[in-house]
Amino acid sequence: MARENTPTRRAFKMASIGANIASGYLGYALQSLFTGRSEREQKLKTTHARVARHVRDEMLSLRGPAMKLGQTLSLQTGILPAETLAELSALQMQAPGMHPSLVRAQVKRSLGKEPEELFATFSPEPFAAASLGQVHEATIPGRESVAVKVQYPGIRDTIENDFKWFRAVTKPAQASGHLPNEAIDEMQQQFLAETDYKREADNIEFFRKRLAPLSFVEVPGVFRGYSSDRVLTMTFIRGKHLQQFLASRPSQKIRNQLGANLFELYYFQLLKLGAFHADPHWGNYLFNDDCHIGLVDFGCAKKLSPSSLQYLRGVYLFPGSRRSAEFRRLLEANYERQGEKLPRAAYQALVDFAGEYRKVYPPEKGKQFVFDFSDKSFLTNYIRHATNLFRTKHVMTDYIFMARAEMGLYNTLHALKARVPTSDIVRKYL
Amino acid sequence: MATHSQAKSHRARKPGKRAQNKQLIRDRIVKAALTLFQTKGFETTTTRAIARKAGVAEGTVFNYFNTKEDIALFFFEEEVDHAIAAVRDDPRLRKASLEEKLFTLVHSQLEFLAPYERFIGAALLHALNPASHLGAFSHRAQQLRYRYLAFVADLIENSAPKRNKDVLSWLVPEAFWIYYLGVLLFWLYDTSEGKQHTLAFLDRSLNIGVSFLKAGRR
Repeated sequence: MARENTPTRRAFKMASIGANIASGYLGYALQSLFTGRSEREQKLKTTHARVARHVRDEMLSLRGPAMKLGQTLSLQTGILPAETLAELSALQMQAPGMHPSLVRAQVKRSLGKEPEELFATFSPEPFAAASLGQVHEATIPGRESVAVKVQYPGIRDTIENDFKWFRAVTKPAQASGHLPNEAIDEMQQQFLAETDYKREADNIEFFRKRLAPLSFVEVPGVFRGYSSDRVLTMTFIRGKHLQQFLASRPSQKIRNQLGANLFELYYFQLLKLGAFHADPHWGNYLFNDDCHIGLVDFGCAKKLSPSSLQYLRGVYLFPGSRRSAEFRRLLEANYERQGEKLPRAAYQALVDFAGEYRKVYPPEKGKQFVFDFSDKSFLTNYIRHATNLFRTKHVMTDYIFMARAEMGLYNTLHALKARVPTSDIVRKYL
Repeated sequence: MATHSQAKSHRARKPGKRAQNKQLIRDRIVKAALTLFQTKGFETTTTRAIARKAGVAEGTVFNYFNTKEDIALFFFEEEVDHAIAAVRDDPRLRKASLEEKLFTLVHSQLEFLAPYERFIGAALLHALNPASHLGAFSHRAQQLRYRYLAFVADLIENSAPKRNKDVLSWLVPEAFWIYYLGVLLFWLYDTSEGKQHTLAFLDRSLNIGVSFLKAGRR
């Protein structure tokens, strides 16, 4: 298990990822000069898959922010080909860990005592690896089981360093408009914010209180006395990760109910709270057979500005045509609130994008309407329209993380093959 | 239940009252000296000031140590003993990787030195003087270094045994000594909160070092 991570080594690895991608596609370009169309398509798929495997392995060994970038890109709109996304999704829950002595040193420096002195029991082996830390099971004297998240040392500098290189190796994607600079800035800011576990503890308490009306959601409690900015102790939430859950072959009824709960959880956060859990990778959701959902890792939570919330309330379930003057006025008003004029390209992309939402939850349909998320064409179209929207370079800043959360939600609903009464749920919170 | 002979041998190891008193006085002198080295500086601290701070006569200090450098060297011997014991006596490390054992060794040293950071910087500079008892030419300092490096060599040999001994085998512990001095300098100049950069540097550099070492021994 390689854990060689000095800045020079990381830089070298990042550069080697870039070089490998370039050589992989160069090889494909040369071969395609001598092959027919169908063979070319097949070769392109093979090249995507080979390059993606390499990128995944390298990012995994880099751990920390590079791995998190991989996770983010795996959920982000169509920046990468499907084969690459499949490989990057393997980053969701695996990462090389810190050895027990390093964990002990980190806990002692943060809380003044070694974990074995602080807790009644402390498992030296982590049960989950997070991209910026790892999680251990422990018990507090006289209390229940807890999950202790311990941060990798010096992670803030690693983030800054990784982003420097990430910007360098993604110059072509930035130039083509696939990966706008604003999106990278927003990701970097968010990753840095995620290193502050005190802030995450605040987020957990906020969501625990505000999500209480949804009886099917479980949010952990925080033990402040056992937490700091680099160690976070929370109640232990039980449940299965998506792949484990699906492996237990749940019935269609359970998958539908779980899908409806997930869908409701997202729109409740968005429209009722104006804040949402924006780190939707599958390791952060725990599923139970009674359709309860455990939500963990609140490092990445976004609060919407009042103007964004007002805008979303206006566009969701908009009754008229997306090409009507009234809809255009809604879009224009949103850009004006941010001091911008609605560009023509952004208008067109937004109309197309909104058309996709209309298919998921048509405004005119009531209880009888159920959307079938097993349909893959919806995901493909969603990615295509979202990519076009990002390319216009006039996306609301809030939307960068909303897209990440939405993509995660739709991916999960598609994996569940859930049939969900979408329009009803959205209408409930408008 | 302890047997009679175990209890007897335990009693035999226990120091007598006179020896205990001597140890207490020596500890007081060392503690007073370290506090003064840290607050007033190593060069400006006199044995008279150490005696006053420890509450003993100046002559008593000389019963235990010839010079203030000897006090400093005694502290560094304690540091090495403490670090070796932290690795050797911890049952949790029995099956640990070489990286983890070396990490614990160096980290224990840094933890031991942490309350006297300012003095450590001064002692490093002082050790550059060829006549210093702390320097490379001092017999006692050399012995301490050999003891430390012999322990490191044992750790390496037990975790990554080399099939064929070669003339360069002795270089590995020597390289580790240079590495340790580098870590010490890094730690001294590390201004990050909770010395997070040192922790990260230690972890990552040991991972690279051990992977190179293992590759070289295959």
